[in-house]
This record gives sequence, structure tokens and C-alpha cells, in this order.
Amino acid sequence: MATCTIYTTQSLNSTCSISTPTKSHLGFHQRQVVFYTSGKKTSKRGGSVISCAAAVPRTVVIGLAADSGCGKSTFMRRLTSVFGGAAEPPKGGNPDSNTLISDMTTVICLDDYHSLDRNGRKEKGVTALDPRANNFDLMYEQVKALKEGVAVDKPIYNHVTGLLDPPELIKPPKILVIEGLHPMFDERVRDLLDFSIYLDISNEVKFAWKIQRDMAERGHSLESIKASIEARKPDFDAYIDPQKQYADAVIEVLPTQLIPDDNEGKVLRVKLIMKEEVKHFSPVYLFDEGSTISWIPCGRKLTCSYPGIKFFYGPDTYFDHEVSVMEMDGQFDRLDELIYVESHLSNISTKFYGEVTQQMLKHSDFPGSNNGTGLFQTIIGLKIRDLYEQLVSTKVATPLEATKA
Amino acid sequence: MASKSTAAAGVILGMVVGQKPLIRSGAKARAWIAVPNKRMRVKAMGMAKYKGTVMKEKQLEEMIEKKVMEAREVCEGNEVSDECKVAWDEVEELSQAKADLRTKLEKQDPLEFYCQENPETDECRVYED
Repeated sequence: MATCTIYTTQSLNSTCSISTPTKSHLGFHQRQVVFYTSGKKTSKRGGSVISCAAAVPRTVVIGLAADSGCGKSTFMRRLTSVFGGAAEPPKGGNPDSNTLISDMTTVICLDDYHSLDRNGRKEKGVTALDPRANNFDLMYEQVKALKEGVAVDKPIYNHVTGLLDPPELIKPPKILVIEGLHPMFDERVRDLLDFSIYLDISNEVKFAWKIQRDMAERGHSLESIKASIEARKPDFDAYIDPQKQYADAVIEVLPTQLIPDDNEGKVLRVKLIMKEEVKHFSPVYLFDEGSTISWIPCGRKLTCSYPGIKFFYGPDTYFDHEVSVMEMDGQFDRLDELIYVESHLSNISTKFYGEVTQQMLKHSDFPGSNNGTGLFQTIIGLKIRDLYEQLVSTKVATPLEATKA
Repeated sequence: MASKSTAAAGVILGMVVGQKPLIRSGAKARAWIAVPNKRMRVKAMGMAKYKGTVMKEKQLEEMIEKKVMEAREVCEGNEVSDECKVAWDEVEELSQAKADLRTKLEKQDPLEFYCQENPETDECRVYED
């Protein structure tokens, strides 16, 4: 498949220079074709330069480590929305597929690489969190193939039956997102990732969220929800948690500090920990890059309702890496709070003023749309778009219509 | 239990004229109402349209209940055993699957595309709201 970029020069009178491209960083040559019009007609077009690349555009691979199931997570929906369109399960295939496909992105659930199905894990006495339940060789092979532009037959793990279903065909997308428990566990897979994110939910918030998720279910009680989290914790701490040291960005979700003794998990304190020196990724900052800022936007210009909003920005170290930390505690109550905050953040990679606000409003029904989780997920989505554009040197068209996801 | 057999009867027999609506007590209330030539089901939440999805929801619900009880039994006495953590991991997997299905249903029935291609299959029989 060839990509052609067309450049138009304004008039023949201007000096046009056609640079001979050196071999691009993508590793393939570009041919250039130049067309000239005579210039006698009053045509707007002067000369056009068409350059065609005769190789397959590379696939950008993003890893997302999360404990909250696959593919339907809010983060994924926000990310695919930044690129335009909603991600849907593949049509006409296995209705229990975990995969999501949109125009630009394909999201793969890493549970599909379970080597042991539910019965197998029970026999061996391992949880799904255990690396022994996962086929990292196959994961590496297939992610590598997709990255190189080769379609793969990926297995499907059926979460309802607990069995491995027949494989589905996955074609190489422009952006491949691998989501699940172990995207950064295997070193070979880690090296394939262009960007990685770890979603770090604190125990108190995890408990509150799982209560919201499960309390309506027959069979569940507060005690069973608690027991489930406790029982999985050792494996989680041993196998999943250590991945966060490898992530380019960590989104840490903690209980708020604005309300004393709050245990409802509704108001959240969210930290966006961004690694420095990551290629094609410039961390978000407040006011003055590299300095330490404490900011309460509510005051004379902006009135907020209880408990308000508090921001913090500053440099730090995280597992021996230099990082920048942007933190938001509290909730957005109104649109103008959101736009006010957006106008004071820097390096958010928006294409127009208010793009973050627009994206948040588009998905106001998603969880976290009024706090730091939604805000930072949206910003990371825009950063990934920026990274993608830098990597493939093309422009992504800004989605014109606000389609409801 | 009674609701289960009524559900089965409702599906297999199709029309059951004059049957009394059955309300199952518990966290969710459901009513089976059968009228001539129609199977009707009123649900407290969710918009399942096809039999396959309805069955899947039920299956998950029953499995969650069962697995929670199993986990409690297995963990009695030894909370750090492998069996105990595997049992609760199964509960977590099923709880998440149920929640995911709920989320999907808010938009459309996951069997929608499959059933458009295969309307004759058993799992694509339609429940009307």
C-alpha cells in the first residue's frame, strides 16, 4: 500500500525548491513527481509535488496495563475517540470477541494470549495474573508481525465460558493498542511498544469501584468483594504492579485529600506521572516547565462548588527515572471550570483551543468525566495522537462531527 | 428455581395463554408476561433483545453466585492457598464479564450483527420488550 502526500505551491512566481529526500527514518525511499501548469490561466494552482512512498506505513503500538477487563474500558473509548470514530467489536465474527476496531485503531485484549483456560488454571492452581497462564512467545510473535504490517490469526479467550475460542483475523492497523494485565511484562514485547501507560488504582479506590460494579449482583456482598480483592492481591503485587516502572506514563488514582475521611471514592485525586526523555513525548506542564507549582483555580475569576479543585505540578523521581508529575484533586462542576483549567495547561498537544474540553463533553456520560481520570486520559490520548503524527509524519484529520461514542 | 422452569417453559412452549405473571424476589425484579403469539419479558435493567444474550446474562449471574459460595468454602481454614486465590480470581473474571455485558447492552445487543446474518438460530430468537 502506498501513501502519497500532495503539496501545492502558491504561484509560479515564488521560488519553489524541491528537496531530494534522503532515506527517511522510516526506512523506505520516496519518489517525487512534479507537475506544472502553464501559469497563463488564472488558476490558483502553481506546481504540485506529489511524493509517493512505496512501502507499508508502520504500525504504532501502544501498551496499556489495567486490571479492569479489556477493551470496554473508558480509557480505550476516549483514546479511539481522539482519532475519530467509535471503536466497535469486529462485525460478523465471534460475538464474544474482546477486540475493538475503529478507523485508525485496533484494540487487542491480552487475555486472548492465555495459555491456560479457566479449567487449566484451576488444575494448575494459578490465577490469570500469573505469567504461567499466558503465552508470551505468541504475544511477542503476533505483536511483532502486526507492527511489521502482517495480519495474524489471534486466539480469542471467551470470558463467559472461560474457554479459548477459534482465532480471529487481525489486520495491521495504523495504531495497535494492546490492553490487559501484562503488556510490559515480557521484555521483547516491551521493546515493541512505542508508548506505554500503566493505570494504577489505589486499594481504597479499587474497593469503592468494585462495590459500585458488583453490589447489584446476587451472590455478592461487601465481604465477598473485599475477599476477592484481598485474595488476588499477592499475585497482583508480584506480577502486575512491577510493570509500572517501565511505563512512559502512569495514571495514579487515589482518594481525595479535599474531603476528610472520604471513602466513597467519588471525588478523586489523580496523578499523571510522565517520564522525561521519552522520544516524541513532551510532558504536560503548568505555567513554568520544571518548576514546582501549587494551583487552586477557584477564586475571584472562577467560582467552584465544594470540594473545589486543586492542582499540583512538579519534577520528581519515580523508580530511578526523572519524571514530571501533574496532579488534580477534586471535580469539575461546570463547563467553564474545565475550559479555564485547559487554558492554563501547557504542552497538551491540542489542535485547537478547547479541544480537551470538547472531548470531555463528547463523553460526559463516561465515568471520570468530571475529574482527573477523564482529563488525564483525554490528554494522554492527544499526546498519543501527537506521537503518532511525529512517527509517521502525516497529519491526522481532526474529527469534524461530534459523534456520540 | 420456579422462575427458571417458567423461563424454560416460556421459551419452549412459546405462547402460554392466561399464565400468571411471575415476579422473582431479590435484587432485580422480573416479570414474565405471556400473551397470545408473543413472548414478553419485562426487565428491571438492560436491553437484551436476543435469547442468546438473555441466556448469557442469566448464566453469568448464576455462575457468580455459585463461584462466590465455592470460594468461601475453599478458603475456609486456608486463605492463602492456591485454591483459594484461584477461586476468587474466577469470581473476579465473571463479575467483570457481567459488568462488561451490562455496558455493551446499554448501546446494543452484542449479538446484533451475528443475528442479522443468522436469524434462524436458537440464540437469535427475539424477546420483545
